[in-house]
Amino acid sequence: MTDAAIRPTEQEPLQDVVNRYPDVPRLIIIKTDVQRRGVFYTDRALEVLDESLHQVTGTHIFGARDGKLVARPESLLLRDGTSIITTPTPLEQNPYSVDLIDGKLWLVDAGEPVEEVDYWSAPDFYALTSSSGVPMKNIVSARPQRLNIFPYRYCTFWNNGKGCTFCDIVCQLKKGKEELQIPARLNPVEVGEVVGAALLEPGRFSSVFLTSGSITSGKEPFDDEVDYYIEILSEVGKHFRTKKYPSQMIGTAFSQRQLERLYNETGLMSYTADIEVLNEELFNKHCPGKAEWIGYREWKRRLVAAVDIFGPGRVNTGIVAGVELAKPYGFRTEDEALVRVLEEAEELASQGVGTVFIVWSPRPGTPLGNQQNASLDYYIRLAKGLHELRVKYRLPIGFDDYRHCGNHPDSDLSRLLPY
Amino acid sequence: MPKLSAEILQLLKEPATTKVVATTDEFGIPYAVASSFLHLGDGGELVHLELLEKSATGRNLLRSLWFDKKVSVTLAAADGRSFVIHGKPVKALISGPVFRRYYQQVRTLLADADLSSVWLIEPEEVVNETYAVRKKAEEELFPFSVHLDRLLVAPA
Repeated sequence: MTDAAIRPTEQEPLQDVVNRYPDVPRLIIIKTDVQRRGVFYTDRALEVLDESLHQVTGTHIFGARDGKLVARPESLLLRDGTSIITTPTPLEQNPYSVDLIDGKLWLVDAGEPVEEVDYWSAPDFYALTSSSGVPMKNIVSARPQRLNIFPYRYCTFWNNGKGCTFCDIVCQLKKGKEELQIPARLNPVEVGEVVGAALLEPGRFSSVFLTSGSITSGKEPFDDEVDYYIEILSEVGKHFRTKKYPSQMIGTAFSQRQLERLYNETGLMSYTADIEVLNEELFNKHCPGKAEWIGYREWKRRLVAAVDIFGPGRVNTGIVAGVELAKPYGFRTEDEALVRVLEEAEELASQGVGTVFIVWSPRPGTPLGNQQNASLDYYIRLAKGLHELRVKYRLPIGFDDYRHCGNHPDSDLSRLLPY
Repeated sequence: MPKLSAEILQLLKEPATTKVVATTDEFGIPYAVASSFLHLGDGGELVHLELLEKSATGRNLLRSLWFDKKVSVTLAAADGRSFVIHGKPVKALISGPVFRRYYQQVRTLLADADLSSVWLIEPEEVVNETYAVRKKAEEELFPFSVHLDRLLVAPA
């Protein structure tokens, strides 16, 4: 049994953890730990960062752990093609370092090289400007194989102070608007223009991803959010000769009518509605806006209903793993948290809804910003548990895997599955 | 990483050479496939282009990379020469300039093809499996393995 509040100085040697899980790849354990502890880029590592070759921090909808908004590597690639999506973290929080050793970039822990890494390559369109004069990278961003569209950088749950307790979307919006001149709300036609330019690069992208903050307004709540997504996806869809194209949207848990519109009127092929915390009581505490407008049980019901529209293995939900242990409301032990979270994930999996997790990274400016995330053991066990559910219920995760997202250790494990 | 001999480098360049990548699955069951794009990479590693994301070979290569298992590459020349190279997959490229170059190459050569990953396999050991070479070595090392009718003054 381990406690959520492990102090940075009490880190167990990585190799001990690797030895304890011989069936989990060392690279995925490293990735998870880097996500858990963050990274610090040395001056030497930053000296080889070249904006014309590499992706630097761009249009993030969420912020960094050190609260800074300056040009740094967007993220890292491991040699198995897995991304490590992590944020720069102050040294006093004991992050991994990224350093330059013999001309190559390495993750370094306690002075020891751990694994060689690469910066993400910059896509061609990052050098271009849209017809309205905005740098294209401020409109659409990229992961190694994915185009990211963050069309609306505000979440209306914050209007009455009911934003999620771990989320810094609104703080980040202010920074992005002031410091990077990123538009708060994107013009769908301009998004289409940028996506068109991005797709000219051969072999670069294998999916289109769309997410924004929730928009509660409309004839039925969230109709405006749905309308906006449809507008954007329609502009994007003009570039494809097929009606459907590999794509994922993370949206609010929409009603059946709204989901049918999204599926029938656009090329969207998969749907994600993040429940964030798999426990009703904790959901109500940490996601008061979602609880107020939809409610925990209805959120789950809508996820299951979405399977009838998008198909099994094409609907999932995300959790911010570690928040379920945050004080004072969280589970008391990681063992208890694991059992309870996996129980609820199994209930969803048995109905065709997958669950993926991201490692909670406490961010400044959020109510939980001064807390610690969970132990590495916890995240490994959670990744194994969610992967095993995918095997048990034969749920494909191709739309949210290492290639199309890269942020979920559990779906990394599913790379070996034949489906 | 051992340097490959000039003879092997030549075989890798030769279009008539049959190139086979053999991997094993989680149960140790072998799986061997022809790798028509296999060639020597800039860093001295073997480059296998995996076109399909969920192929058995692609998944087995990943398993080998993750759990430090070996794979083998067989080169069989039209003239009967044959070599087996044992090695380890060390990197899978899914993005970046090298991936792009190969993606474009594959698209030029195969109609409407895709490319999943560029696999780099680091050679560790080379075995000459050419029949004439193996036969000579066996006859020297294992003289009792010869059928006697082959040694007759007047062969039947």
